Amino acid sequence: MLSASEIRKVVEERTQRQKGTGKKVVDVREEMEHLEAKGEIIIHRIRPENRPVSASTLFGWTKRIPTDRLWHHKSCGQCGNIPGYPASLLWLMNETGRSYLNEPHQTSCTAWNYHGTATSNPVALAAVAARNFHRAYETDHFPLIHCGTSYGDYKEMRKLLVENATVRTKVRDVLRGMGRELVLPEEIVHYSEWVHAMTPELLARQKHSVRGIVATVHEPCHYYKMVPEDAVYDENVYAGQRPAVPSGILMSLGATVADYSTWYDCCGFGFRHILSEREFSRSFANLRKIRPMVDEAHSDVAITSDTGCVTTLDKSQWIGKAHGQPYMLPVLADVQFAALALGAHPYKIAQVHWHAASAEALMTKMGIDWSTAKAEFREYLKALKNGQAPELLHPAHPEIETYFAVNKGQVLPEEAPATAPAEIVANGGGGHPR
Amino acid sequence: MSIVAHLPRRVLSLTEEEAASPPVMELTGRRRATSEERTVAETIYAEFRADPRHREFVLGCLNCGECTTGCPAARFYDFSPREMLQIAQNGDATTLWDAMQEKIWACCQCYTCNMRCRFGNDIAGIISVMRELSVIHGLESTRKVLAPFGRSLTLLMTVGTQVSSDMIQPDFFRDWGPFATGSDKVWDVGTDVMRRAIPSDVLHTTRSSWEVSVQTSLELFRIYEETGVLDMLRGLDPDLTEMLVDIIEERREEFEEARDRFRTELAGMHGPVATFMG
Ligand code: SF4
Ligand code: SF4
Repeated sequence: MLSASEIRKVVEERTQRQKGTGKKVVDVREEMEHLEAKGEIIIHRIRPENRPVSASTLFGWTKRIPTDRLWHHKSCGQCGNIPGYPASLLWLMNETGRSYLNEPHQTSCTAWNYHGTATSNPVALAAVAARNFHRAYETDHFPLIHCGTSYGDYKEMRKLLVENATVRTKVRDVLRGMGRELVLPEEIVHYSEWVHAMTPELLARQKHSVRGIVATVHEPCHYYKMVPEDAVYDENVYAGQRPAVPSGILMSLGATVADYSTWYDCCGFGFRHILSEREFSRSFANLRKIRPMVDEAHSDVAITSDTGCVTTLDKSQWIGKAHGQPYMLPVLADVQFAALALGAHPYKIAQVHWHAASAEALMTKMGIDWSTAKAEFREYLKALKNGQAPELLHPAHPEIETYFAVNKGQVLPEEAPATAPAEIVANGGGGHPR
Repeated sequence: MSIVAHLPRRVLSLTEEEAASPPVMELTGRRRATSEERTVAETIYAEFRADPRHREFVLGCLNCGECTTGCPAARFYDFSPREMLQIAQNGDATTLWDAMQEKIWACCQCYTCNMRCRFGNDIAGIISVMRELSVIHGLESTRKVLAPFGRSLTLLMTVGTQVSSDMIQPDFFRDWGPFATGSDKVWDVGTDVMRRAIPSDVLHTTRSSWEVSVQTSLELFRIYEETGVLDMLRGLDPDLTEMLVDIIEERREEFEEARDRFRTELAGMHGPVATFMG
């Protein structure tokens, strides 16, 4: 087998060759500079306020990961049915004193629908991406993409907008009609890359040891198989032969990351299948992923870093009992696992109760007193039912934002009316720079 | 007004006759095409070969089968990415038409094949091109495949997210078991309270994955109108499309009313709010 540096050399040679013929795999960031010089696009640049950290990609390129002043590009699957996923990420940002915007002026990338039903087209996908990019830009916050599919799709769309002048012109016209401009971010950044960049700061706050915990990683396909050249790899993680995220943070926290034969397989989500052909999704998830994770690797927990993967691997297991496969292996996102290790409330923050496979045995192994936390949460629910204001990680948005995407960045005049923050109970404080 | 009130409880409209008549297969596995279908098939084939993505995605094929070896769909269906690529490269109108009836929908869009192919073919991408054409031409088989998506399409088109908590209920997802919705018997407080226990107000809604502002919805719908997505959907299900237009019309009214109400606060601001919708 070739070593990581030998693979890099082959890839580099191939890139050079393809550059020479003008075909494929050019560094899209270089092309963006040319387009900006011609006045065709605006690059949303990472600035010192974003406190970037450099990482290395599959092709050995340097990727700058912004760690501060971020615009949360949420994921519809996470927010819809595994809300502990975004909540854990916001909590980690509060803990480490990072600022961000989490606002209602974002659409999903709509790529779940495209990959499931094809009732869209690349121009529409590119326009949706560019609308979200511009919204982040006008608030002067750098987009941080929560979903693996959005991340892959946005890299594809950025490439398309750079390489195809017709699509670019069409999208620019659509955006102009709504008072927006064509802005492309300098980097497309997945939240797990933020976790990777923040590893030292997260480790400094670790409260629970995870030594002895065996984790198996499911690598989300759209993180590294779609536009693979700029996924983050690190020579210290699997000798640079598999993506560095999310394995890196688990290893750094002290967990054992165990290998299993089907690590390369998808989770079974299938986009269309998870909604309308679930017999495929659940068979694939159970037979090709959960079973080898348990039988081969004796895993305590499966960790992944994408919406569809957590959903499919977790929720497909319950029905497995009917086929004599009662595994119920807990499935968590890397940020949920990290937040638990850093002392986040298992129910109020990590929201583990939305998962089908219980994480309680895992938490016991991590030394977390989940039964006290569960009792607290039950009381909290009662209080909420009786009208108590909810505890929030960032200020509630004012009513005007239910209707309008009010600007918060360089476009907003200084004397703009201040927004009225509602009840805040910030853990660690400091998330939101309104 | 509530978006959820408009979410259809039915599937995309299929007549009883359509539902009762699955495509006829010959023993060879090849479907017998009618003459009308042959004409459509020729048109689709011409459009497929003329799509600029064809030249970009289909680069050559060794027939090595590397793509199929790693394909999750190939394990469970009569489907192979190698075959799809071969059809894209060497097929004719009939083989393309046959593949578009059913096989293209087996693909999980995982991109494993792309990663493994030494030619650098974009197999997942070329399958998407076939799927788009099957939607554009409103193939009967496609309408059947997409029949269960009426509700998620409504959400997607009007607020731009794919799922909502009021969709993920035990009635719809029985195979996920009783503990998968965050609102089971263990807690017994209902979905609304479970959502308010999430520590971000943007996520408190049960009707979408997160709250989406009216302006954002309108901008999204404008994208769909101007990039042909609405027309695509109209060909597939005109009733659903008209319902979407009605929902958006109501959101437009809501936007205008709010603009009057927040006039003072909006005064002096520039940017999208001032220019949007003229
Ligand atoms: S993208 Fe489709 S064809 Fe390719 S490996 Fe995945 S399921 Fe198979
Ligand atoms: S991997 Fe590529 S070359 Fe090999 S059969 Fe598949 S498409 Fe053809």
